[in-house]
Amino acid sequence: MPLVDPEFLAEVKRSPAFNAEACLNCGVCSAVCPLEIELLPRKLFRYVLLGFKDRILANTETIYSCLLCKMCEANCPQEVSIAENVRALRFWINKKVFQL
Amino acid sequence: MSTLKIGVYICHCGGNISHYVDVEEVRAAVAGEPGVVVAKTAMFTCSDATQQEIIADIREHNLEGLVVASCSPKLHLFTFRETARRAGLNPYQYTQVNLREQCSWAHRNNRRAATEKAVRLVRAGIARTNLTVPLEPFKIETVPAVLVVGAGVAGLRAAVGMADLGMNVYLLEKEAQPGGWVNRPGKMYPAGRVGKEIIAQLLAEVQERERITLFTGAEIVEKSGSVGNFQVKVRVGGRRRQEISLNVGAVIVATGFDVYRPAACEYGYGFTGVVTLPEYWDLLAAANGNLIYRRKEIKDVVYIYCVGSRQDPEKENAHSYCSRYCCSAAVYAALQTAEINPQIRQYHLYRDMRTYGKSELLFTRAREQGVRFLKFAGDNPPRVEEQAGGRLQVTVCDLLTYGEEVEIRADLVVLVTGMVPRENEQLVKVLKLPLGKDGFFNEIHPKLRPVETVVDGVFICGAAQGPKDYPESVASALAAVTQSAALLKKGYVELEPLVATVDPERCRWCGECAAVCPYAAIEKGQYLYRQVAWVNEAVCKGCGGCAPVCPGQAIDLRGYTDAQIKAMIDGLLKGGL
Repeated sequence: MPLVDPEFLAEVKRSPAFNAEACLNCGVCSAVCPLEIELLPRKLFRYVLLGFKDRILANTETIYSCLLCKMCEANCPQEVSIAENVRALRFWINKKVFQL
Repeated sequence: MSTLKIGVYICHCGGNISHYVDVEEVRAAVAGEPGVVVAKTAMFTCSDATQQEIIADIREHNLEGLVVASCSPKLHLFTFRETARRAGLNPYQYTQVNLREQCSWAHRNNRRAATEKAVRLVRAGIARTNLTVPLEPFKIETVPAVLVVGAGVAGLRAAVGMADLGMNVYLLEKEAQPGGWVNRPGKMYPAGRVGKEIIAQLLAEVQERERITLFTGAEIVEKSGSVGNFQVKVRVGGRRRQEISLNVGAVIVATGFDVYRPAACEYGYGFTGVVTLPEYWDLLAAANGNLIYRRKEIKDVVYIYCVGSRQDPEKENAHSYCSRYCCSAAVYAALQTAEINPQIRQYHLYRDMRTYGKSELLFTRAREQGVRFLKFAGDNPPRVEEQAGGRLQVTVCDLLTYGEEVEIRADLVVLVTGMVPRENEQLVKVLKLPLGKDGFFNEIHPKLRPVETVVDGVFICGAAQGPKDYPESVASALAAVTQSAALLKKGYVELEPLVATVDPERCRWCGECAAVCPYAAIEKGQYLYRQVAWVNEAVCKGCGGCAPVCPGQAIDLRGYTDAQIKAMIDGLLKGGL
C-alpha cells in the first residue's frame, strides 16, 4: 500500500512551472492523447501529488515516450501546463536516475 | 326532497373530454334530474364567453345552484366560484365535477362506459348541489405583532425585517445569549466575515428598534387562538421564572440546527488529534502564525467529508441527506489554514465535491494552492488509526488514483460534520409543527411555498427546516418576513367556511372528536349548562376526521354534510344512462 509522501511535490516543484495541483481529474487529456498513453498525464500527476515516487520511477519509459505535442494542454479545462509538467518530471528523473 | 334551481354545464374541454365521453348524451341524461333548469354543453366552459353565458343564465332563470362538469377543481374551482359570485349566486352553492382527470383521461379506450360513468358523476354533483346552503368565509382581524422563535442569524434578521414593516416583534431565545451558531470568532464563507461581527451588527439593529422585545432564556409553553390572532404563553428563565402572555398574529420559527456529534470511535473520534469541523474552527480562530493543537504544531491535516451526512438510509435514524454547507466550509477552512501557514499540507477526502454556486471558486483556489483532494466511495469510507508517537494514520481507497489504497500520516484529522435537527420536542408539541422524514421542520411545498407550514400563521425559516448556510438562512428569514407581513398587513384573514359544526342538542361531550382532531380545533364548550364540543372555526381545516367518530352523530362538515354525501352516493348508484 503506497504511503503518501508530502515532501515529494516540493522536490519536483524545484523545476519551474509545475502546476498539476489544479488538475480536476476530468480525463480529457487521456482522451485526446495521440499516443493513447493511458498513464499520461492525469494518473501520473496523481502519483506526483501524492508522492508515489516508486510508481513514477517504474514508469520512466512511458514518461519519455510523450511527444510533448500539447494536444492535452490545448484541451485542458484547468489550463494545466501539462507538457511543461512532463518536462519538469523528466528533469527530476534525469537528475535522480540518470544523474545528468 | 326539496330542490334548488340548478344550471348544469358539461365541458368538451376542446376534445379532452368529448373525444372519449359523449357529452351530448350526458347532457340529455341529466337534464331531467331533480332541480335542473338549464343543461348545456360548451367547448370551453372556462372561456370568457361561456362564463358570460353562465352569468346570464343564472340571472335569467334565478338559478340557486351551479354545476360545471369539466376538469379538476384544482384548476378551476375558484374560477367558477367567482363566476357564481359575479352573477349574485353564493359561491359555495357551486359544485365542480371532474370529468377530465377522473373520467375521460382515465377511460380513453371505452367510450360507452366512460359516458355512463360521466352521467353518474354529474348526477352526484347535482344531488350535492341540491343540498347546498349559502356560506360566507370567516373574517378574522389580525394582530399586528409577530413572535419570532430563535435569535440566531435568521431570527434576528426576521425580527429586524418585521419591525421595519411596522409590526411589533417578540423575539425569543432559549439560550442565555442570542446569536446562535453564527456567533463565533472565526471567519465564514462566502465573504470571509467574522460570525461574531455579523451577530453584533444585527443585535445593534435590534436594539435600535423599539418595536422589538428580546427575551433570552425563554421558551414557548402554550399556544391557542388561530391564524391572525394567537395567544402565546412564554416562560422566561433566569433566576426568577415567570410566565408572560403574548398576543400575536403570526409565528416565525427560526430555531436553527445542531451539529452532528460523531459517535465514539466513528472515524477515530476520541483519539487525540481527531476533531470536528466546528472544533477546528476554534483552532483556526486561535492560530497565530502557526496552527497549534495541544501544544503541538500541526503540519499535516486530513479532512474527512460527509461525517454524519448522506448516511446509508438503511441504517437506523440515518441522516441520509446532504448537509449542503460542509463542502464549502471545509474548502474555506483549507484556504484559511493555508493563509495561516502555507507550509501546512492538507488532504481532503471527499465523496462528491458539492461546492455549488460561487463556492466553486473557493474549490479552484484551494486546488491551486496545493490542497490535495482524494475521493472515496460512500460504501468504502476511510479508516483512522492511532500510531505510536502520537500521529494518526488514515487509509483511504482513492478513486482519483484509480481506486488505489493510500496511506496518509497526519497530525490532525478534521471530521467535516453535517447539520442535524435540533431537539425541540416542547416547541413541536405546542405549535404542532410538522416534521419531515429527516427530522427538520416541513414546509408546505419546497419550491412554491417554502416558508409556510400546514399550520396557518406559523412560518419556518433558516436551518430549522433543513441545512442552509448563513446567506441562505437570511434569505429564507426574509421570505418568512414577507409571507407573514402579507398576512398581517391586510388587517384581516378570510377562511374557508367548509368546517365542522356541532349540533349541541345531540352532543354529550365524550371527547372522541377532540381526540382525533389533528389541528386541536375542538375544545370543550358550554351549551345550556351542559358541556358540549365547540369547534374553533378559524383553526378547523374541514378534514372531516371528527364526523365519523361521533357516537351521537352530532358533528357534520359544512359543504360535505352526511346528507350531501348520501345524496351523492344515491346519484352515483342511480343506474346508467
